Amino acid sequence: MSGDTGISRRRFIGAAAGGLAGIAALSALDLNAAPVKNQPKIDADSFSSDSQETDVLVIGGGMAGLFAAVKAHDAGARVLLVSKGRLGSSGLTPFAKGIFSYDPDTADMSIDEFVAGVSESSLGTSNPVFTRQLAEHSKARVEELKAWGFFDSAIYNNSFMRPIEERGIALQERIMITHLLKEQGRVVGASGFSMDENKIIHYRAKTVVLCTGSGGFKSNGFPLCDVTHDGTVMAYKIGAKVTGKEWNDGHPASAENSGSCYDNWHGQVEEKPGITSVEIHHDLGVDMNYTAYVQGPGGSMGGPGSGPPGGAPGEGAGAGGPPPAQVEQVSGGPFVPEAFRRNGPPSMPPKEEGLLAGLFGDKRPDGPPGMQGNMVGGSTAGMAIHKSEGLVPVDETGLSTVPGLYAAGDALGSYMSGGIYTQVGSSLAGSAVQGAIAGEAAAKASLQLELPDVPEAKLAAVEEEILAPLKRERGYSPAWVTQVLQGVMFPNFVLYIKKERLMQAALAYVEELRDHHVPMLLADDRHKLRLAHETENMIITAEMKMRASIMRKESRCSHYRLDYPEVDDENWRAWINIRQDENGQMQLEKQPFDSWPV
Amino acid sequence: MPIHEISGCIGCEACVKSCPTDVIQMDKQRNKAYIAYPEDCQICHLCRLNCPVSAITITPEKSIPVMVAWR
Repeated sequence: MSGDTGISRRRFIGAAAGGLAGIAALSALDLNAAPVKNQPKIDADSFSSDSQETDVLVIGGGMAGLFAAVKAHDAGARVLLVSKGRLGSSGLTPFAKGIFSYDPDTADMSIDEFVAGVSESSLGTSNPVFTRQLAEHSKARVEELKAWGFFDSAIYNNSFMRPIEERGIALQERIMITHLLKEQGRVVGASGFSMDENKIIHYRAKTVVLCTGSGGFKSNGFPLCDVTHDGTVMAYKIGAKVTGKEWNDGHPASAENSGSCYDNWHGQVEEKPGITSVEIHHDLGVDMNYTAYVQGPGGSMGGPGSGPPGGAPGEGAGAGGPPPAQVEQVSGGPFVPEAFRRNGPPSMPPKEEGLLAGLFGDKRPDGPPGMQGNMVGGSTAGMAIHKSEGLVPVDETGLSTVPGLYAAGDALGSYMSGGIYTQVGSSLAGSAVQGAIAGEAAAKASLQLELPDVPEAKLAAVEEEILAPLKRERGYSPAWVTQVLQGVMFPNFVLYIKKERLMQAALAYVEELRDHHVPMLLADDRHKLRLAHETENMIITAEMKMRASIMRKESRCSHYRLDYPEVDDENWRAWINIRQDENGQMQLEKQPFDSWPV
Repeated sequence: MPIHEISGCIGCEACVKSCPTDVIQMDKQRNKAYIAYPEDCQICHLCRLNCPVSAITITPEKSIPVMVAWR
């Protein structure tokens, strides 16, 4: 019986025992029909295939991608910039309102002191080469942005388009890149599909700069839902080393409407950007998760090292909302260096100045998510500290371990600030600085190279992989698989307060999703096709996060283990690199701090 | 509902292009934008801020799909 209908004998008897109503209900079911039989709204066979070529292919339309494209062009290369969204309106760039500028004339510390201070705060996890690079180049990038009108509008698309149009740089938006192409040991381009028409595009390029940002697990309350570690996973699949997966961004969300990015950021997206100056912190977020873990949720935002979330109870409660619960001092938790213990929340972005200040008087941002009123746990789950996760650089240009493949911004594991937030506004500045340097390096390298050929058979195989979710008849919706992944990865006791047994359990779930659900992801249109590929990328990232977190048997910066709560300098003055071996298995290795990969 | 309504659309596609999560699509026959995937709206308001005629209304509540055994 069960072989014919797919229903077990036990279940049938159980249903029949329900009486006539049960039998009637069962007979109404077509048990041969798949519950989620895929009925695509678009024809997978109707996709056309286009081929384009360039010297330097820049992938990603945020701050890093902008500067990579501009500087690659200025270095004499033919450049093509491709983005999943609109230039300046995708990823985290449109929401970043502070940009760091180190001005040697006004800074109250030298660059050497700044680099040393960041290293002290980050417990050695920062890479001084990239910290120095940030300080040395940030002012020049900020001046260029000024000239393009960046500081004149809350919307970045206009100012970003200016240098692109002035230079005639080719720009293609709403293209999701899914594959990097590699031939004879080098990256030779990328492939993806259009969000607007049934078209696959293969880009042949001499060099590629990944500016794809980082990602989360489509977490609620933080504008991360379009960044899903796409670049990292593409690069991992062609052999690039990836780092930084054990670190965790710990931004909370507001208890009220915790899924609304706009409300969590208190309307900050409507503000024009401003400039930040030297101010070295040790901003965790994971400390709030620790407090919630040991004494229960409820409380307002506090500075790191202040024990519980600080500030007077009730302070900053939203109008009409309940006051934050009284919180008590808790012992233990993440280590904060003595010099960086303080009270109060992290700095707010700079105030609006000039004529427009009055217009926005009522909407002045109150800071990043959760900085006001009652908080709920991590709104960025799945994302590491900016600039700490991504491709492993082999030098200061952001060249990865795959020849010809560069990365910049959040797609590069530069450890500019280490595994902790050390400088407000440095993330946006770091993306500009690294994008410019990687773009120029990629351009110079491309001038020495011939445009590579990519075998037709490889392109055909890539097309099959891109379209597979549309062609499957049965399987799982990406939204549901993502929801399951979120259920596994979001809880406080998995990513923030880490323990071996629970991480092994979470890893088992993730492996199940990887092995059984990724090969069965469905799509019925281009939007769902994008979601299917994003879901796969998040699942592979979840595996990386669990394996790296299990491997690092100590606590340091934003990685906190309840079973290894101390900083272990004897064994762990090292970053963790992840790579795919020749059998497709994920391998992890240590790379000592202050070294380059061997 | 997150993105709630588009009323008075002039068909410029600014919202379609500026939405990071591909929530809004164009109805090519009517030359108007419509909300195609509200469940994927991250409530960031970029569409509203980019709309030249203030046609978009957004509410802060997130629509979360129900959890089932498979889907």
